[in-house]
Parts: sequence; structure tokens; C-alpha cells
Amino acid sequence: MRLSRKNWKGLTAGLLSGMLVLTAGGCTPPLQRFSTSFLDVFDTASTIVGYAVNQQTFDQQADDYHDLLARYNQLYDIYNEYDGINNLKTVNDNAGIAPVTVDQEIIDLLLFGKEIYEFSDGRVNICFGSVLEIWHDYREDGLSHPEKAELPPVDLLQQAAEHTDIDSLVIDQQASTVYLEDPEMRLDVGAIAKGYAVAQATKTIVEDGMENAAFSIGGNVSTVGWKEGKEGNNWVIGLENPDRTAEDYLLTVSISDRSVVTSGNYQRYYTVDGKQYHHIIDPDTLMPAEYMQAVSVIAEDSGFADGLSTMLFLMPVEDGLELVEGMDGVEALWVDMDGTVVTSSGFDQYIND
Amino acid sequence: MEKKRTFGKRDLILFAVIIAAGLIGLAVLYLRPAVTSGTVEVAVDGAVTMTLPLSEDTEVRIDGVNGGENLLVIEDGKAKIISASCPDGVCVRHYAISRDGESIICLPNRVVVTIRGGEKGEVDAVV
Repeated sequence: MRLSRKNWKGLTAGLLSGMLVLTAGGCTPPLQRFSTSFLDVFDTASTIVGYAVNQQTFDQQADDYHDLLARYNQLYDIYNEYDGINNLKTVNDNAGIAPVTVDQEIIDLLLFGKEIYEFSDGRVNICFGSVLEIWHDYREDGLSHPEKAELPPVDLLQQAAEHTDIDSLVIDQQASTVYLEDPEMRLDVGAIAKGYAVAQATKTIVEDGMENAAFSIGGNVSTVGWKEGKEGNNWVIGLENPDRTAEDYLLTVSISDRSVVTSGNYQRYYTVDGKQYHHIIDPDTLMPAEYMQAVSVIAEDSGFADGLSTMLFLMPVEDGLELVEGMDGVEALWVDMDGTVVTSSGFDQYIND
Repeated sequence: MEKKRTFGKRDLILFAVIIAAGLIGLAVLYLRPAVTSGTVEVAVDGAVTMTLPLSEDTEVRIDGVNGGENLLVIEDGKAKIISASCPDGVCVRHYAISRDGESIICLPNRVVVTIRGGEKGEVDAVV
């Protein structure tokens, strides 16, 4: 094409406006990917991946998130005391003695625990601490001295199991107190606390302006916004292979504004006479549940996903499948004892090709 | 009418040289072996203690907290822990890592081994 003067004018104008648009676009700094990890909350490893305009912004948000989790960790801790706060250890230590004044975060968690108890027909019981404490002690001893590792005596477990009645947990919302009427009863919120804390901390950090992040707190993953901050660009979450000799993930799922929680027999365990005994105890047998190797739940709320994954781990795969099929917005994947993968009907939509 | 300069032999040579240079450049870009530019970052109790190239095979001892030890091996562009003093051995059973952001963690010894840079990892989190 021959360029006349008029054409030149048009072309120049076009080029100039094009450059203006490009320059204007350049005013929004591009989002960069950052990540950090910490090891001091909920006795597990935590990783945060996020997209922010600069390192400083990300670090500030990650620090805030860590501090939020650290506070929940202290409140829900049943093993350690902390200066100036009443936590669940304080409540346990005062079982049969006196009601303990606690922060709202504890009241809310325990009320949630009662809901999960009802929902799971007692399978997920935050008042199961007396039994879990015995397993915890035997596991810790077994890990420290593998050659002397032992199973807890059955009669000891059975005695403890008589002190797990959730009705003995008295929550007085007006007075902000919690009381265990049974002096032998102990709270253990391990099945729900991490997921619940992650859900609450994530809500808070989003209100404070963190837009695009994936939080991974030992088997609990929660995501907000989008990968790279690009709408429609889902986060990719790898599901651990229960077969620990495998070179890669079992599979990856892609999600946004969803949580994924896995309960597995490989997460925490000890070995007695060559057999592995994991940490999720069946309330019926008082022994580690043996229905499956792992179950992963995808749901919006990470607290609910945490409780549900424990509940599903404590029931046969078929029963769990039936339960999940009847629920809205919840999908699950099971790895049974033979390594066969079973999924709920809507799980496929999340699987990465 | 002014005599127009014709496209001469010299121009042809110049063109050929430019095109050849371009092709060679492209060939270099596309045909060179993939470079593993990633590094292996070792942190103990939150502080980075070592940064090693992923491209160099090596075996190093990591001194964790409370006298704990982990043996890190970098081989064929992948990093893994082959033995550890910790009781649970979660880190030893972890697969070898090579992609940006992947990590192996030993909780008892407070050791975190992370890949920085190199091949992009697709996965953002693991459960």
C-alpha cells in the first residue's frame, strides 16, 4: 500500500495512542510470585504461596497470617501452657474442678466441635482426649525408642473410653466459660482445630487485603483468589501418594476459593513389631481405623473439610461415598487399602488433565 | 530518469550473512541442552544455611537443631534426603525434588530444603 500524507497522520496517531495505552498499562505493577514456610504452628510444616506487587507486601501479609495461626495454635494447644492465656490445656487441667474463662475463639471452636459430633454420629468427638492421650504418649515413646515401641494395653484404652461423653462438656456462652464435668475427661481438637484455624485466619487475611494466595498447613490447603492473580486461573494442588515409594503426586486438582484436606495413615504414625500404627483412632475399636489409606475432601470451608475428612476416614469407603453424594458442594477421593482410587461423582471437575 | 542502483552481489552476501547469523542464533537458542539453573536452598530453624547449585552432583550433611542431622544428596538435577537422625523419617520417604518451589521438610530437625528457580513447578500446594 502506498502511504499518502493522510495515511501517515493516521498511522502516527495510532502509534502514539498505542504507546500511551501501553504506558498507562505499565502503571499497575505486575504481580510477582512469593512463597514462605514456617514450622512453629500446629506441630506441622506450613507454606504460603502468594502473588503480590512486591516482596515487602507479601512478607507483611505472610507474617500477619503466621501470627493469626500462632494465636489459634496457642489457644487450641492441649500440651503446652502459655503466659497470660487460658487455653485448652487449662480447660483440661481444670476438668472436674472449675469452669475456665476462655476467649471467644475457643467457645466458637468447641461449638463447631459439637456440631461435627452430631453430624458424624459421634465418630468425630472432641471429647475423646483421654483415649487419644494414651495413643499420643505411646507413639511419642515409640518414636523416641523404636526398639521399645509398644501398643497401649486394651484395658487402659477401654477405661479411658468411659470418659468421652460430649454432654459432659459444658459451654456457657454468656459467662464465656468452659467446664468438663467429668474429671477424667480430656478435650482433643486435633481432628478439626487446624482446618478451623486456617478457615478463620484466611477470612481475616482476605479482609485485610490479601487477594491471591494458597495456604498449606500440614494436610490442610486453603486458597483465595487466583493463581498469578489472573481471574479464571485456578490453583494447582498435588495430592500426596499414600504409596511413599511413588515418585510423584497421586494426581493434581485445580481449584479456586476452595479447601482441600487429606486424612491419611501415612501422616503421623509409629511402628510396633514391623506394623505401622497411625494417629486416627476408631471410637468403636479404640485402634487406628483400617478402612483406607487416605481420603481427601474438597469443600469451601476448610474447618468443615477437616472434620469431614476425619469422619470419612473412620467409616467404610462405600458408606462415605453415599454420604458425600448426598451433600452439596463437597467432593471426595478415597485411596482404599489396595491402593484403588474411588471418587465421588463430581470430583472429576477438579482433576487436572 | 536517474539510473536506479541494482541489487548487487555484495548486497546478496550481506543478506546471506545476516540470515545465517539469525539462523545460527535460533539454533543456539533451541538446540542447546536445557540448563538447570535452579538452586537448592537449605534453611535450619528459619535461617538459610546453604545454597547449592542443582546442576552439581553432591552429598552434604545438614546440621539441624538439637544435634539432628540430615544427609542431602543432589544427583541428576534432583535433590533428596537419603538419611536422617529424626525418628519419623518423613523427609527420607519424600520423593526427590527439582521444580521451583518444591520442598522437603524435616520437622524434628527444623530443616527445610527448597528448590529456588529453575524449571517452573506447576503445583502450588500439596496435601
